[in-house]
Amino acid sequence: MKHRKSTMFLAASAAFLAGAAQADDPIKIGVPVGLSGANSVVAPSVVQSAELAVAQINEAGGLLGRPVELVVADDGSGAAGAQRAFDSLIFSDQVDALISMQTSAARNAGLPILSRGNVPYIYTSFYEGGSCHPNMFVNAWVPEQQVPPVVDHFQAEYGAETYFLIGSDYSFGRGMLEFTREYIEAGGGEVVGEEYLPMDGTDWAPILSNLRSSGADAVITSTAGGAPNVTLTRQMRGSGVDIPYANLAVDEGTAGDMGDVATGIYISASYITGIESDANAAFLAAMAEHFGDDLSTPNELSVPQYEGILAYAAAVEANGSTETAGIIEALAEVSVDGPRGTIVMDHQRHAPLTMYLGRVVDGGDVELVTEFDAVSPGEQCPDL
Amino acid sequence: MANLLLDMITTSAILFLTSAGLLVVFGVMKIINFAHAAFITVGGYAAFVAHEIGLPPLLAPLFAFAVGAALGAVAEWVIVRRLYARPLDAILATWGLGLILGQLVVLGFGRGVQFVPPPVQGTVAVLDTEYSLYRMLLILIAIAVAICFTALLNGTRLGLSTRAVIMNEELAQGLGINSSRVRLITFAIGCALAALAGALLTPLTSVDPLMGLPYLIGAFMLVMVSSGSLPALAVACVVLGGLQAIISTYFGSVLGGLTIAVFAAIALRLRPEGFARA
Repeated sequence: MKHRKSTMFLAASAAFLAGAAQADDPIKIGVPVGLSGANSVVAPSVVQSAELAVAQINEAGGLLGRPVELVVADDGSGAAGAQRAFDSLIFSDQVDALISMQTSAARNAGLPILSRGNVPYIYTSFYEGGSCHPNMFVNAWVPEQQVPPVVDHFQAEYGAETYFLIGSDYSFGRGMLEFTREYIEAGGGEVVGEEYLPMDGTDWAPILSNLRSSGADAVITSTAGGAPNVTLTRQMRGSGVDIPYANLAVDEGTAGDMGDVATGIYISASYITGIESDANAAFLAAMAEHFGDDLSTPNELSVPQYEGILAYAAAVEANGSTETAGIIEALAEVSVDGPRGTIVMDHQRHAPLTMYLGRVVDGGDVELVTEFDAVSPGEQCPDL
Repeated sequence: MANLLLDMITTSAILFLTSAGLLVVFGVMKIINFAHAAFITVGGYAAFVAHEIGLPPLLAPLFAFAVGAALGAVAEWVIVRRLYARPLDAILATWGLGLILGQLVVLGFGRGVQFVPPPVQGTVAVLDTEYSLYRMLLILIAIAVAICFTALLNGTRLGLSTRAVIMNEELAQGLGINSSRVRLITFAIGCALAALAGALLTPLTSVDPLMGLPYLIGAFMLVMVSSGSLPALAVACVVLGGLQAIISTYFGSVLGGLTIAVFAAIALRLRPEGFARA
């Protein structure tokens, strides 16, 4: 206790000294994000939700009396761009923290730079799981959280025993489906087919023929977002496949845009716009007011970004300074009440989440089928 | 088995539609139009625009054909015309043209995915199975395109001039054929066929700024083994497209994606004229 007191005193005096030296200097939050490349479609919504979070913090008087400033850098959705973005944000802009949704390639390329710069990093994109770094926290889902609702529902509702898995040939697609296969087999089901198409492939016909001849009870897909997803869904519907279909890679907005072909598809997400809570209603209203006609619809990738910044703000307040070691301790404890509910990143740097199983109905709206409370991320980083 | 057979035929039809435009340009002008992929994309967006302004779905491919022809004619007039004597520079210039067209599409429509509702939906009973109705239609459309083009080449004065230019351009000029006009029309038709293919693909795929790119390499390989001849292209599409469907079905689509490149290379090694008559 005595020891703790003295460290608190030290931290407080350090904060006081630092505060005295830079009372008006903003606290800088770096956002390396894919303004170009594969993530460029979703990036605007991510930046917008970050802007809203920062605006709200500043309206409420900032953090520790200091204003908060956002520094956005393009990571090109890939490894090389991420290295440049991390370098310039950490060493040239001297940001206090990095909070962003990125591709797995970009995240992995940035982690060594994170070690050198020693700043905290909140990763706000769902991903294939198992990425660990002492400075990194994750507030979005991993396969252990997204897949079980789908499989459990298919087994309970349709009595599905045999499954066919289809994916894009890249690490996220294969990682998701490998976990799905393990989960199905652990539950006594059987995977009767698992096929992948290269990222630039466009013709799913042979895979769909194999799906039809396999006689599977249900199909689960995990493609790259955007074009491959749309292509597969359209061709699947065109080929007359009508077994229960869960798409692990489609978001609510894309499903809606696809129109009739998406009808009946199951999606599993930690955020859908239809969540009925005061926090979500307030968030959606604030977004609409702040961005007006330029609003990019909030989604599964932009909402965790908003909550990630709130989590950092809470950690700074709890810690009393932006000093890294204290922030990292605080990030594992602070809880954020955001649009997705109350979230604490206390599970080996990951967070238990409420998962929503939705189904696309006529007209592209997503109807909530069922929700699963506090789904655990499982063992992601046992060594941290 | 019936499914595999239909996959083989429809894959061939799609390959034929997406490579016919490239072949037309290569056959007459002896240059490879690397903006081909961008013109496929333009066709996809033309179908999207046609849907937005309320044209009936049947007219969308024709609208795309017209847009492709107009853009192709302008490109020939402004850029390609100057490069006939420099085929290597033409590769660079058409590749650049493709980049520019792609960026214009991004500026106009954004990077996101657009959607065109399919004109027909569902399946049809063929042989002893149910098969995608639209893919069946593509077989008929590919045959129709082949017949129209053969008729154009063999049954019209323009076709006669074109064949003369293909055989011996200087002699044709000597006979009073305006070969630069033939080239302009050929390039426009090549681009129009690419745009037509883009519009026809929209029910199977998404419309996005890179939608044409995956088809470029396959089309390039198929044209290389066809020596500029349309019947040879049809044969190449049936053989290599069929092989691709078989390999994708039995060995996975990852290997299937390599089929055309590998077998085109083998075909050229064994027979330099490829599928064309020697």
